[in-house]
Amino acid sequence: MSHAATGHLETSTGIDNKKLLMWLFLASDCLFFGSFIAAYLLYRDRSLVGPYPEDLFDIPFTSVSAFVLLMSSVSMVLALSAIQRGNVRGLQIWLFATAALGALFIAGQAYEFTEFYHEGLRLDTNLFGTTFYVLTGFHGAHVTIGILILLSLFIVSLRGGIQQKDSLTIELAGLYWHFVDIVWIVIFTLIYLIQP
Amino acid sequence: MKTAFSRLRLPPRRVFLAVLLLGLLMLLLSGCDTDTPQNTFDTKGEVADKQADVFYWAMWPAIAVMIFVLGGCAFLLIRFRERDPNYVPPQIHGNTRMELAWTIAPAVLMLGLAVPMVATIFDLGREPSEDAMVINVTGQRYSWTFEYPDILDADGNPLSLSSLGGPAHIPVGQEVAFHLHSTDVIHSFWVPKLGGKLDVVPNVNNVLWLIADEPGSFSGQCAEYCGLDHANMRLTVVAQPEDEFQAWVDEQLAD
Amino acid sequence: MASIAVPRRSALAQALKGARHAAENKSSIWSWLGTVDHKRIGVLYGVSAFFFFIVGGGEALLLRTQLARPDGNVLDADQFNRLFTMHGTTMVFLVVMPMSAAFFNLMVPLLIGARDVAFPRLNAFSYWLFLCGAIFLNASFFTGDIFNGVLGAPDGGWFGYAPLNLNRYTPGHGMDFWMLGVQILGIASLAGGFNFIVTILNMRAPGMTLFRMPVFVWMTLVTSFLIIFAMPVIAVALFELMFDRLFNANFFNPDAGANPLLWQHMFWLFGHPEVYILILPAFGIISEILPTFARKPLFGYPFVVFSGIAIGFMSWGVWVHHMYTTGLGTIANSAFGISTVLIAIPTGVKIFNWMATLAGGSIRLKAPLMFAVGTVAMFTIGGLSGVTHSMVPSDYQQQDTYYIVAHFHYVLFGGAIFALFGGIYYWFPKFTGRFMNDPWGHVHFWLMFLGFNLTFFPMHISGLLGMPRRIYTYSGDMGWDMWNLISSVGAFTIALSVSIFMVNFIISLRRGERAGADPWDGRTLEWTIPSPPPDYNFRETPQVHSLDDFWHQKYAEDANGRVVPALGGGAVEPAAEHGHEETAHSLGIHMPSPSFMPLIASLGFPCIATGLIYDYALVPVGAALILVGLFGWAMEPATEEE
Repeated sequence: MSHAATGHLETSTGIDNKKLLMWLFLASDCLFFGSFIAAYLLYRDRSLVGPYPEDLFDIPFTSVSAFVLLMSSVSMVLALSAIQRGNVRGLQIWLFATAALGALFIAGQAYEFTEFYHEGLRLDTNLFGTTFYVLTGFHGAHVTIGILILLSLFIVSLRGGIQQKDSLTIELAGLYWHFVDIVWIVIFTLIYLIQP
Repeated sequence: MKTAFSRLRLPPRRVFLAVLLLGLLMLLLSGCDTDTPQNTFDTKGEVADKQADVFYWAMWPAIAVMIFVLGGCAFLLIRFRERDPNYVPPQIHGNTRMELAWTIAPAVLMLGLAVPMVATIFDLGREPSEDAMVINVTGQRYSWTFEYPDILDADGNPLSLSSLGGPAHIPVGQEVAFHLHSTDVIHSFWVPKLGGKLDVVPNVNNVLWLIADEPGSFSGQCAEYCGLDHANMRLTVVAQPEDEFQAWVDEQLAD
Repeated sequence: MASIAVPRRSALAQALKGARHAAENKSSIWSWLGTVDHKRIGVLYGVSAFFFFIVGGGEALLLRTQLARPDGNVLDADQFNRLFTMHGTTMVFLVVMPMSAAFFNLMVPLLIGARDVAFPRLNAFSYWLFLCGAIFLNASFFTGDIFNGVLGAPDGGWFGYAPLNLNRYTPGHGMDFWMLGVQILGIASLAGGFNFIVTILNMRAPGMTLFRMPVFVWMTLVTSFLIIFAMPVIAVALFELMFDRLFNANFFNPDAGANPLLWQHMFWLFGHPEVYILILPAFGIISEILPTFARKPLFGYPFVVFSGIAIGFMSWGVWVHHMYTTGLGTIANSAFGISTVLIAIPTGVKIFNWMATLAGGSIRLKAPLMFAVGTVAMFTIGGLSGVTHSMVPSDYQQQDTYYIVAHFHYVLFGGAIFALFGGIYYWFPKFTGRFMNDPWGHVHFWLMFLGFNLTFFPMHISGLLGMPRRIYTYSGDMGWDMWNLISSVGAFTIALSVSIFMVNFIISLRRGERAGADPWDGRTLEWTIPSPPPDYNFRETPQVHSLDDFWHQKYAEDANGRVVPALGGGAVEPAAEHGHEETAHSLGIHMPSPSFMPLIASLGFPCIATGLIYDYALVPVGAALILVGLFGWAMEPATEEE
C-alpha cells in the first residue's frame, strides 16, 4: 500500500478507509431507526387501551433534554476543533463535556421512562408502550455506547494517547455522535411534537 | 488420468434437446388430466376464468422466450465451439443498437401485459355487489367455520357449520361474498376452481367474492402455513342450483 | 483505532503476541483461528458453506422422501415442519450467502490488484460470527429429544410470519433459536458488506477506474450496498419479534390491535433485496467465466454493469409482490405489479448480453463454462415463471403453491448454485495450482442438470394443479402423485451429482493436473500471479490501463477488433523456485498480523443469545466477551511492529 505525504494510506477515492466505513455504518443505521420509527407511526392512534401519548408527554421537559443533546453536539465540534489545532487540553475538556451532556440526556430519558412507568405505561400495556419504549430505548442505547466511546477516548487522551495526528479518531467519534443527535431530532419531531 | 469416462463424448446438443423436450412434454401432459380436484385451469367460476386468462397472456410469450434462450444457448455452444485452440475471435465489445432493441422490446411487451393485468386487478378487486350472498368465514387452526348471517333459524341464529362436518353450500350463478376472519394466525382461503386465494388475517377484514358457473363440488385448502396440521385444513364448497340450495338450507335449519 | 500507542505492554499483550507468533506456522490450527488473510477466510467460508449445503440438502432429501408418495409416513407433521423451516433458512443464510462471501473474499482483492481487504480483522470477525450463528441455529435440533425423533429446530418457516411466530402459536425454543440465529447471521453479513464497499471503492490498483473493474467486483459492490441497507430492516423485525416473544411486547399481538402484516412488510422489504443479494454475485461469476471460455470480451459491459445497478435500486420497490394475496387493495397491487414487471427488463438485458458474448466466440466446453451456460438457461426459466407471478391476478392462484417453489428453485439453484459451482471449477486452479478433473466435471454438470430439472420442473405442474406449499402430506385423490414422485427421484439424482463433485474436489486437491498462473488464458488480474498466490498477492501493485488489462497485455486489437499478438505482452509474475519462496517480509511488504480478537468478540454473540433463551446470567458474560474482544481489537496494532 502506498503512503502519501500525510502518512495516511492513499485510497482510490481519497477518503480514509475508516471514515468511509463510518459513513456507511451511519447510512445503514438510518434504515435501522427508520424501521422502528415506521412501526411507531403505523401504530400511532391504534392502541386499544391507554395511557396514550397525550396523557403522558411532557413537551417542555423533553424539549429541554433535546436541547441538552443538541448542545452536546456543539461541545463535540469544539473537541474536534481543539485536537485539530493540537490542543490536547481543549480536547479533554470538550470530550468530557460531551459525555457529561450525553449522560444528562440519558438521565432525562430515565426520568421520563420512570414517570411513564408510574403512570401505567409498560412495554406490554398497549401498542404505544411497545413502540415507544423500544424505539427510544434503542436510541438511548446508541447514546450510551457513544458516551462509553467518548469516555474511553477521554481516558486515552489523559495518558497522552491522542495527538494532533490522531484527530481522525475524534472526527469518527464526532460523526457517530452527531448522527445519534440527528436521530433524536427526528424522533422528537415525529413522535413528540407532531400529534395528529 | 485417462478413464473410460474421460473418453466418453456426451453430445451436448442431444442431451440439451432431450431435457427441453422432456420439459415441454411434461407441460403438455399437465393439461391432460383436468379432472383433479384443485386444478387451477379447470375453472368453474368467473374469477378463476379471468385469472387463468391473465396467466395464458403471460405464459405464451414466456414459452417463446424460453425456447429462444434455451435453444439459443444450445445453438451457440455447438456453432461456436472451439475448433482451433490458437484461434482468437474478433473482440466485439458490444452494439448499442442491439442493447436498445433488447431493452425496449421487452419493456414494451411487459407494459403491454401490464395494461390488461391492471384492468383485471380492478375488475376482480371491486367491492362485492349489493345482492351478493354473504358468508362469514372464520379460519382457526385447523378448520373453517361458515356462518350465513342472512339465513336465520327459528330462534334468529344464523346458519353455521364447520368444515369438519361437511361442505359449505352456495347457489350456482350467484355472487357470494366471503368475509374472512381469523381467531388465531394467518390462514388463506382458497378454492382453486372458483378463484384465487385471499389471506385470512387477524384484525383485517378481507372480502373475497366468487361466483360458481356450474354445479359441482369444489375442493379447497388453507394456503398459508399456520402450524402443525396446516396440511389438513381443507374445505369443500358445493354449488347447487337455487332450488337444491334452498332444500339444503331448510334441511340444515331443521337440525 | 489505529496508531493510539498504549505506553505499557501488559502481560496479557505479551501472551497475545506469543499466540500470534504460534499462528505464524501456516499449518497450525492457530494460523487458521487467527487468520486475517482474505484467501484463508475465503476458504473457511467456502468449506463451511459447502458443509451446510450437504446439511440443507439432507433436509431436502428427507422432505422429498416424505412427499414421494401420498399419505407418507416417513416424517410426521412436526418433523416435516421443522425440517422445511431449517432447509429454507439453511440454504439462504448458511449456503448461498456464505458461498458468495467465499468468492468475495477469495477474488475481490485479486481482481482489483490489492493485497487484502480494507479491514482484515473485521473480515475475520464476519466469518467467525457467521460460523457462530450457523452452529447456534443448528444447535436447536438437539434441544428437543432428537433420539426419539423430537426435533428442537424452529418450525415457523424460513419467513416466520406473525402471529404464528409468537409464543402462543409456536411455543418452545425453536423459534427463539431461529430469531436469534438469523439476527447473528445478519450482523455477520452486515460487517462483510461494509468491508467490501470500502475495499472496492478505496483499494483499487492505480488506473483501475470504476468502469475498468471486472463485473464480479461491480456485482459485489451492488450486493454489498443491498446488504447494508436490507439487513437493518430484518434486524429490526427480529428485535421486535424478540421483544414480543421474550418480554410480552405487542408489535405483532393482534389482541392489542397490532397488524400482523407489519411483519410481512418488514420481512419482504428485507427479503426482496435479499434475493438479489443471493443472485447478483452469481451473475458476476458467470460474467467472468463466459468471456474467458469464449475468448471474447463480455458483450455490452456498461449495460451489464448498469443493469446490475438498476436491479439494485429497483429491488427496493417490489416487495409487495410477495404479499399480493394479503388484501392490500387494488391500488397497491397494481403499483407493485407494474414495478415487478419492470424489474424483469434489466435482468433480460443481462441474459441477452451473455448470449451475445458466446456468439462469434471460440468456446471451450470446459466445466466452468457448462455451469455458466446452465445458469443462463435455468435462470431464464425461473425468471419467466417469475414474470407469470408478477401478473397479479394469476398470482392469486399461484401464491403459496409449488409453482412458487419451482420458480425460486430455478433462480436460486439453477441460477445461484450452478454459478457458484462454475466459480469453483473456474478458480480452483488459481488457489490450488491444480485443475479439477474436467470430464468428471461434465458428469457432475449433466447429472445435476438432469436431476435439478427432474426435481423442480414438475413442481410448476403440481403447483398449478393446486398443491399448496408447506404441507407435510397430501392425499392420493388430488392428482399430484406422479409429479411428486418424479421430484423425489430428481432430488436423489442431484445428491448423486454432488457426491461426484465432492470426490472430484478431494482427489484433485492432491492429484489434479498441475495448473500455472494463467491456465485458462484469462482476462483479469488474478491470472497474473502464481497459482497458488503468495500471501501478499501481488509482488508489485499492478498499473491498470484498461478493462481486461491482462488480456490487452497479451493480445492487441486492430481497428476492427481483430486480434494480433501484443509485443512483449502478458507478463505473469514468475512462481518462485522451490526453496526460494519469497515472503512478504523478504520483499519488505507489511501484511496484517494474525489476530484472535475477532474470534473472541464473535463468541460473545451466541453467548448472549443462549442467555436470552435459557439463563439471563449468560447475557453479561457474552457482553463482556464482546467488550474484551473489541477492546483488544482496538488496542492491538494492525501490523506487527518490527
